[in-house]
Amino acid sequence: MSRVEEIRRLRREAPRSRFLRWSGVALGALVVASWSDTERWPFALFRGQRVHNLERFLERELVPYPLRNGDRGPADLFGWARDLFAAKGGEATLSTLAISALAILLAAACAWTLGPLAARNLSTARPAEDLQGKPESRAWRAVRGATFALFVALRALPEYILAYLLVALLGPGHAWPAVLALGVHNAGILGRLSAESVENLEPAPLQALRTSGARRSDLIVAAVWPLSINRWLTYFFYRFETCVRESTALGMLGIASLGYWISDAQANHYYDEVFFFVGLSGLIVVVADFASARARRSLREGDKLR
Amino acid sequence: MNDLRRPFPLGPRGRLLVAFAFAGALSYWFLGLSLSGLLPARGAGDQLGAFFGAALHPAVDYEASWVPEGAPPFLSNVGRAMLETLLLAAAAMSFAILLSIPLALWTSTSFWQRQSRGAAGIARKSKLGRALLPFVRLVIACMRSVHELLWAVVLLAAFGDHHFLAVLAIAIPFAGTLAKVYSEMLDEAPTDSSEALAEAGLAPGFCFALGRLPRALPDMTAYTFYRFECAVRSSAVMGFFGFPTIGYYLKLSYENLYYREVWTWLYALIVLVLVFEAWSARLRRRWVAR
Repeated sequence: MSRVEEIRRLRREAPRSRFLRWSGVALGALVVASWSDTERWPFALFRGQRVHNLERFLERELVPYPLRNGDRGPADLFGWARDLFAAKGGEATLSTLAISALAILLAAACAWTLGPLAARNLSTARPAEDLQGKPESRAWRAVRGATFALFVALRALPEYILAYLLVALLGPGHAWPAVLALGVHNAGILGRLSAESVENLEPAPLQALRTSGARRSDLIVAAVWPLSINRWLTYFFYRFETCVRESTALGMLGIASLGYWISDAQANHYYDEVFFFVGLSGLIVVVADFASARARRSLREGDKLR
Repeated sequence: MNDLRRPFPLGPRGRLLVAFAFAGALSYWFLGLSLSGLLPARGAGDQLGAFFGAALHPAVDYEASWVPEGAPPFLSNVGRAMLETLLLAAAAMSFAILLSIPLALWTSTSFWQRQSRGAAGIARKSKLGRALLPFVRLVIACMRSVHELLWAVVLLAAFGDHHFLAVLAIAIPFAGTLAKVYSEMLDEAPTDSSEALAEAGLAPGFCFALGRLPRALPDMTAYTFYRFECAVRSSAVMGFFGFPTIGYYLKLSYENLYYREVWTWLYALIVLVLVFEAWSARLRRRWVAR
């Protein structure tokens, strides 16, 4: 067989899937449809009145207040930033971090206790055992399905919408709506991830415990938690970082995080302050990102928690 | 032996638990929370009942007593808003992917590598590329670390209302995230095929494009789908800033206390998210474990 024929044969025999092909077509159609709406095209942004608005925004509104009239220098800029930080930014930064920490801890507590119940290898009548084709118990399948559905439901709604609904129901002026919204959404995500990691555990240690007479609860406490904690913690830190990012924005609903001061400054048209607080929020997200990456790397490299 | 050495009666896991409890208590105290805050606000008790009571009876028609002549049926509005949410997500994702590709290539080490015969992986970056690398990394970090809603605030203040701004507000942070993850995936992809191609004498660019990239592509595609899912959620939330996605109508109905309509919007969003999640999960399974 010549080489060209060989290549043709390989191409013919390559695995093909109608599902993949139609998914591609559907996605392509979505993208084409979305850009065929000319209202979405960016060109009008740089024409007519908008250019003047943009110029005014960049040259005047965005410039920090002490620098606007040109008679004061960078020293005043520092004073301006320090005053803003002392009056509003510092406390809001700490609140943002506290909201994310409390939320991710609640989410983890929920996910790490319920997670094993959604795992296919534990949530059966005979945990960690090979069923060898025997039918599994209906009750346990129901438990597993219910836990799985609970996780799906918890993470279905975005945090911002959850918090928006909760602010009205629980009243404004405290951080519970943000904590609960972040906690609920992340419990759903961490729950699914921890259930998956339990399913991927090596069966040998679990089976060894089983044959020496361990019950399901013994398995979870003595094997599943210790074996999974490293993996779970990497998820934990990864989600903590996204929590910090999200909770900066949740403040715009009137909850005392950085977003609160952003929407406050926006309402007063103090765009220099908006810029300052947006920058501050970016900074703490970068710091949280860095800390979480460090924590995850050290978890990956050594199994320090075994 | 271990027990004698321990200065503290707790193992590493126990200490972690204590640290977590401490962090939680500290946050709780700092935020000034109390458990009574979990009860419905004063006067909102009835509202709470009405809200959750409406969950079983989502609206299929306008709840308002008066609807202007010629208004489209409620459910057709729901369909339109769902479509608009999807379209905004698709526009934002396509734009984000376009933005992220140059950034990802720039920041990945493997793109700059020259694979010479025998000694694979000697990094020899071009001078300009290396000089600008920290700057590009900084740009990516800035794009990523500001939330899409905060981008929307800034962009709307700068330009005024425009539909492209919703696309841009989602696309900027998403492009940053995609760029970071793509470049990591490119660097972590198996090197065997690109080494083999270098061995056969191919130019470095071809080694990268034909050897490295295809090995990372399944993971990259899977991750892109996951982000698409996130983009659908973000696109719905963009409605809170006046763009005609689900969030806009949800807010409107909630402010008018039309709770049954609110539940219709919530169910519409949940259906959208779940269908997309199931679709993307199935695609990812096919792609990664083929």
